[in-house]
Amino acid sequence: MDAKLKETILNPIFKGNPITVLVLGICSSLAVTVTLKGALVMALSVIVVCGISSLILSLLRNTIPGRVRIIVQLVVVAMMVILVDQVLKSFEATYAIDKQLSVYIGLIITNCIVMGRIEAFALGNKPWPSFLDGVANGAGYGLILIIVAFFRELLGSGTLFGIDILNRFGYVPNNLVILPPFALILLGCIVWVQRSIQKDLQEK
Amino acid sequence: MNTNNNVYTVIYTTVIVVLVAALLAFVSQSLKAKQDANEKAETISQMLTSAQYGTKAELDKLGNAAKLDKYAQEIDKAFVINLDGQVVRELEGIDVYSPKQLKRENYNIKGGPNKTGEPELPVFIFKNGRTVVPIYGAGLWGPIWGYISFENGTATMTGAYFDHESETAGLGAKIKDDPSFQKEFVGEVADFGQANVIEIVKGGAPKDAEGKSVADNKIDAITGATMTSQGLDAAIDTWLAAYAKYFLAQEKSCQKSCCEGKEAHDCKEEAHDCEQHKCEEE
Amino acid sequence: MEYLSLFVKSIFVDNMIFAYFLGMCSFLAVSKNVKTAAGLGVAVIFVLLVTLPINYLLNTYVLAPDALIEGVDLSFLSFIVFIAVIAAIVQIVEMVVEKFSPELYSALGIFLPLIAVNCAILGGSLFMQQKDFLNIGEATVYALGSGIGWFLAIVALAAIREKMSYSNVPAALKGLGITFITVGLMGLAFMTFMGIAL
Repeated sequence: MDAKLKETILNPIFKGNPITVLVLGICSSLAVTVTLKGALVMALSVIVVCGISSLILSLLRNTIPGRVRIIVQLVVVAMMVILVDQVLKSFEATYAIDKQLSVYIGLIITNCIVMGRIEAFALGNKPWPSFLDGVANGAGYGLILIIVAFFRELLGSGTLFGIDILNRFGYVPNNLVILPPFALILLGCIVWVQRSIQKDLQEK
Repeated sequence: MNTNNNVYTVIYTTVIVVLVAALLAFVSQSLKAKQDANEKAETISQMLTSAQYGTKAELDKLGNAAKLDKYAQEIDKAFVINLDGQVVRELEGIDVYSPKQLKRENYNIKGGPNKTGEPELPVFIFKNGRTVVPIYGAGLWGPIWGYISFENGTATMTGAYFDHESETAGLGAKIKDDPSFQKEFVGEVADFGQANVIEIVKGGAPKDAEGKSVADNKIDAITGATMTSQGLDAAIDTWLAAYAKYFLAQEKSCQKSCCEGKEAHDCKEEAHDCEQHKCEEE
Repeated sequence: MEYLSLFVKSIFVDNMIFAYFLGMCSFLAVSKNVKTAAGLGVAVIFVLLVTLPINYLLNTYVLAPDALIEGVDLSFLSFIVFIAVIAAIVQIVEMVVEKFSPELYSALGIFLPLIAVNCAILGGSLFMQQKDFLNIGEATVYALGSGIGWFLAIVALAAIREKMSYSNVPAALKGLGITFITVGLMGLAFMTFMGIAL
């Protein structure tokens, strides 16, 4: 694999993380991080949607008129997500999965990461790197979600994946942790840690 | 190719929008029957959960066909009433109210520009002596709905199941995911005499000396989910107030037939259970 | 609902940023100085003010069950229709800003087209669908209130950040890190509005 492609994949995970460096996808990272399970479902959905929509729009990139590109991007992304939702809803076997996912549909479509990466990368690059960029950004986003959700579920409910961890030792769940402001404070701390390691990201 | 000229832009946008709309319309139409069948089975399993035929997980293992069978087997009668509590029509076969229908009735109860007619409120009476009625309203992010079961002829709740479209996982979503929240409704008594039929209170419902919840109309709110709790409270109050006349009349007629020592249909089974002081008042 | 109470409620009690935490990405990224923040704030007010009434009309007369043709329920299209309307308006705003204020255009960067996916805008339309407004007047007042709420929030944060540039924040926490924490604390403060019923 050539170095540039490798950079495309590795950069979004840490050095160019969509949440902590590019400041994209904050709303959803507040909403879905109360439980680890929710964070995991959302992370996987965003990886898939981000990858595929980057791929499709990169294929279309030379035909899209500049002045209506936002409409085209959003319509394509929204259509894909709604189609998947409709199909999952139709089969008895997948209906239960859809009930879990349908909560996140609005959050996925309006997730700034999806459109942010299309706008910043897919419209100017070939399909394969665009796909990888989408997937890698989804993964970088998912990583932060899972870190935040780990602390919020552990301290806020005393559980992990719904399984009791701390409560059996007499831990009283801290209700402050499950409120959205605490997710912001946690994100601030993650940025702090990241920038202590990665000194070149520090702002003057 | 010059992608910036006007004609191209207009044609391109039109083609994309038409294509997408056509595709979505086609998919939605061709899959509608299947989706409706799934939704119906889901609604039935939610009602059965509320009527205490098992937990939601147990019922979900049954599969669609078995859920419909179980409903057909266990339903005693189902009918639609108006705001005065009078029966308007019977519901034949497996005719349950989907969330979409509930949404329409919700507009009809509340009035306003979206009202399409007089409210038609479904009542489901199961063979195990439970009356199930639906509720519908708005949560924090999207609609919430659910089913509450009562002991026949009384205002005592025996179970509840709630569902939502897009409440926050781990907070508002607990109305659906947290069985202990739904269990709180069991044994509580709705107050059909006033507008605030059930109160979802922050900071704890009254408890007796042993720490058990008092049988009143107060229920503990979900911590951290103020808006969803408020929405659920409003939804329950709106809908149960619409059913109030039916429940009050039913309670009265059961009390009466109990005092007279007659056997009555759709009432609590134990005849000795009627409240003597009320009989003396009569 | 009375217009005035709806207006005040949508600014403070139902504040898009501090009560619902919507539209955070651009809120955090474009709040370095008051001038740019105010520019984006005005753009958000404008987009909300235009898209919400349009979406209200579409929702009532086209998408609602039986609205267009008896027996046809187009509500499954509401997501995509709302988004298309928002994207179209954002596209127009982008072209206008680029033409009349190139300076603001470059300061906003990618966050101008990203207004289209600013959750606050779509959230406004989705909340509108839920709140069952009686007429277009209420929808417009709600849009204006939510927009002003967002504007005030971003200007307040930008003002704090301008002052904060003089304080001695740990190097790694400077900029984004301390902003996250500041917004978290502001959010906690705004929770006091939550119990107020107007």
